[in-house]
Amino acid sequence: MSRDVFVLVEHRQGVIRDITFELLAKGRQLANGYGGSLWAILIGADLEAMAESLRQVVDKAVVVEAPRLCHFHSDYYQQVLATLLQEHRPLFTLMGHTSYGWELAPCLGAALGIPLAPGCIDIWLEGELAVCKRMVYGGKIVGEYSLRPSWGYLVTFPAGTFPAAAPSAQAGLIIRQQPPQLEEIAEKVFVRLMESPAGEVDICQSQKIVAVGRGIREREHLRLAEELAKTIGAVVACSRPIVDAGWLPKDRQVGSSGKTVRPKLYLALGISGDFQHVMGMKGAETIIAINKDPNAPIFSVAHYGVVDDLFKVVPALITTVQGMQAK
Amino acid sequence: MPEVITPILEIRDAILERGAQDARKCYQCGKCMSSCPWFQVEAVSYPVYRFPQAVKLGVVTSSENKEVLAREVEDLFRCFACDACRVACPRGVDMAKVLRAVRRILVDYANLPQELRSMLSKTRSSGNPLGEPREKRTAWAEPLGVGPFTPDMDALYFSCCIPAYNQRAQSLAIATATILRKAGLTFGTLGASESCCGETVCKVGAEKVFSELAGANIAAFRAAGARRIVTTSPHCYSAFKTDYGEWGFEVEVLHETQLFAELIERGLLKPRTKVNRRVVYHDPCLLGRVHGVYEEPRWVLRHIPGLEIVEIENFSREQSLCCGGGGGGFWLDRPPDERVTNVRALQAYRTGADTLAVACPYCLQMFEDAVKVLAVPMEVRSVGELLAEAL
Amino acid sequence: MRIVVCIKRVPEATEALLRIDPSGKKLSEDNLTFGMNETDSYALEEALLVKERVGGSVTLVTVGPEAAEEVLRMGLAKGADEALRIAPVGVEEADPALVAQLLAAEIRPMGPELILTGCMASDDGSAQVGVYLAELLGMPHLSLVVGMEVSSTGEVTARRELEGGVLEEYRVRLPAVFTIQSGINTPRYASILGIRRAASKPLRVAAPPTGEKMLEVRQLAFPPAGKKAEILQGSPAEAAEQIASLLRSRALL
Repeated sequence: MSRDVFVLVEHRQGVIRDITFELLAKGRQLANGYGGSLWAILIGADLEAMAESLRQVVDKAVVVEAPRLCHFHSDYYQQVLATLLQEHRPLFTLMGHTSYGWELAPCLGAALGIPLAPGCIDIWLEGELAVCKRMVYGGKIVGEYSLRPSWGYLVTFPAGTFPAAAPSAQAGLIIRQQPPQLEEIAEKVFVRLMESPAGEVDICQSQKIVAVGRGIREREHLRLAEELAKTIGAVVACSRPIVDAGWLPKDRQVGSSGKTVRPKLYLALGISGDFQHVMGMKGAETIIAINKDPNAPIFSVAHYGVVDDLFKVVPALITTVQGMQAK
Repeated sequence: MPEVITPILEIRDAILERGAQDARKCYQCGKCMSSCPWFQVEAVSYPVYRFPQAVKLGVVTSSENKEVLAREVEDLFRCFACDACRVACPRGVDMAKVLRAVRRILVDYANLPQELRSMLSKTRSSGNPLGEPREKRTAWAEPLGVGPFTPDMDALYFSCCIPAYNQRAQSLAIATATILRKAGLTFGTLGASESCCGETVCKVGAEKVFSELAGANIAAFRAAGARRIVTTSPHCYSAFKTDYGEWGFEVEVLHETQLFAELIERGLLKPRTKVNRRVVYHDPCLLGRVHGVYEEPRWVLRHIPGLEIVEIENFSREQSLCCGGGGGGFWLDRPPDERVTNVRALQAYRTGADTLAVACPYCLQMFEDAVKVLAVPMEVRSVGELLAEAL
Repeated sequence: MRIVVCIKRVPEATEALLRIDPSGKKLSEDNLTFGMNETDSYALEEALLVKERVGGSVTLVTVGPEAAEEVLRMGLAKGADEALRIAPVGVEEADPALVAQLLAAEIRPMGPELILTGCMASDDGSAQVGVYLAELLGMPHLSLVVGMEVSSTGEVTARRELEGGVLEEYRVRLPAVFTIQSGINTPRYASILGIRRAASKPLRVAAPPTGEKMLEVRQLAFPPAGKKAEILQGSPAEAAEQIASLLRSRALL
């Protein structure tokens, strides 16, 4: 039985996405731990440069190129991966718990009849039994699950679960592989990528962000966040529920489906901190979270936390800062 | 051409079954609409007089258009259960009860505004609408040395969830405890076994959650051997006095202002320190209109030296305008131009008062917010806080 | 158009105080409020909008215990036409793969043209069922859909949401499965008439033999709280002081 670990390379418009190197870091640990090799699976068109950058991290990089693969499309990807997996039978195949992983992993698992462990924070073997750990109930509970025994397992990890793999002196082998015959799929046709229109405020350019989540409770309370932002010279951003409620425009949303920000200061008000949000802000230099739930996952990413009602702390903070500025 | 409406009898019957019988008494004179707090809010047209007729015809929330339907459902949750219309009604129609019957059907299907759904979910899981841990419920009492109630004590004090967990409102509970102690009364709380009284939950129409809360509190009161309960909130007061009655709960319940008045009368409290304020007293709906307690709070205020009382002309006592916090309104997010709280706060401010006196934690919070939004130089204090200042 | 919407009953966990059952394998449910999974309610709304535009019927399907019928009734009240609850024999908790197999077996004979479901359940966060189901039914799928238009010729133009606010547009031929992201529409309220009618709409229960499970829960636990953040102690004012001096010391003011 193979002990190899496959990592599906996620890329968009010629750029390998960060998640890939995070998966490669975990993949390396698993491959070394269970005595297998680490493989990157790179699917697309015009892959030369990307393949080169993977060599320093992996043992082998399988490169599958075809015109039909020029853009991510789950059906074409599935055909390529199904062939590769059946041929090599890797122990673990890692993908992002991302928009690509969501679109691809379940149908690949179903087609191959092998278990999929979605959105994990860890996976390991106990004898021949695979066991995974995942955050459930919005990150408030961690669950441990055993997987049905199989020759291989699909595993998806949310972005930000692991630090990115660093390049080494290694020179992995590049294996060019012909794709299987890819019939045109008329039932599902990729049309285009659409960038969301730029808004008036670019939260990515701001050094300081005051971000609000569900805990702000009412649209009207946004004023409090705005006042704090004005006081400290920040912009206001938010988590997904605030955008869904129509309280702030989409371009203010931080998280996997919104913007990724790396400000000097990220002040999170009433944000519980599920992984989708965290992956958009974990790179901030200083993260301060105010949340009254001591078990809120945001506290595991924040550098400083206040476990209290934001409606008590924020007004006090505004007053204190204004007092300092007056001096 | 007039619209022809075919009555839908099964809907009428379902609503009547849930307690809307009063709808039958209505003859659509419209007095309810002109006495309704919403009548004072320019941005909102709230033809509340239509509801009894719509109930009789079984055409409540009857639109096929989803936007219109959303407005209809949201209108059903506009009612503050302030009772102003019942008082004004020549037939004594209990509109809050009529609307509650409708809400019950909607709530059974989780068909209510998100803020209220969230409030109900937190109340179920934590026993309070703020979703705070039970263990922290009496944290305010610890520094004062107020402990659990024992049967040998004079009274059981029930703080209400808002003072229990909200920092500003906490001073209401602290003031009351300080006053009772100065009067030499012995008292305690239910501690962590205290649950939300459920008055708002009941008005919102969440029968099941309400019965869980009422059942838990009644059991806790009985286990503790409570004979005299003192509440800071008129909502708890009303719940224990009226709503819990259906469970055969009969214990003496006092609103704190009633007890303060009694203690002053018996000479156990002697307010001596001057409180130089010009105070306008806002009658809470449940204390005034619903339970007829108008005099005691004013009597307490009159016994505070230096304090001058003014009244809001035409909108005092029975005609008092709701703060907007009743019937679930406390939890609903409304744009500034749709807040009756602001209208009421301006009425109070225009009397020339420097202090707005309240006797309810909801009123306190609503007005604290309003004076900030309106930026009027008026302080909001509870009758208890003012009394404590004078002792 | 024959539309099927797969929905799930989930606890409202975001703001609730969670407790773990003594078995260690599930949540203690007695203090929780349950409702329709959030993204499923957007999927249902999208189905109702499609039905309003092109006609047809909406069938709701769920997998779960009898209590799960409450979300079916909620959906029927909003305008779905019929409902099916699948209660596999001897299964207490179904995993996503098993749910998809059970759904596929019951939905296939219905011959739907459009299948909608939420992109992720808020309880287990797997985000698997819809896409898994599509594979089992041999239909194309699109996940994380934030916008879709159904043409009269049975073609759907839909946009899915990628990271970083970027969208991907596809043309998909029906029959197909779409998993719906929140925010695509505004879910409606039910009318009282709808609620009353829901009581008499057909709600069927199927009790098929169980399928193949892929995941089995071993234990649930609370994650270590605040393992990284340094918690600033004291009153709100004191905490505010500490934040302010932190900001000043880092030249952030």
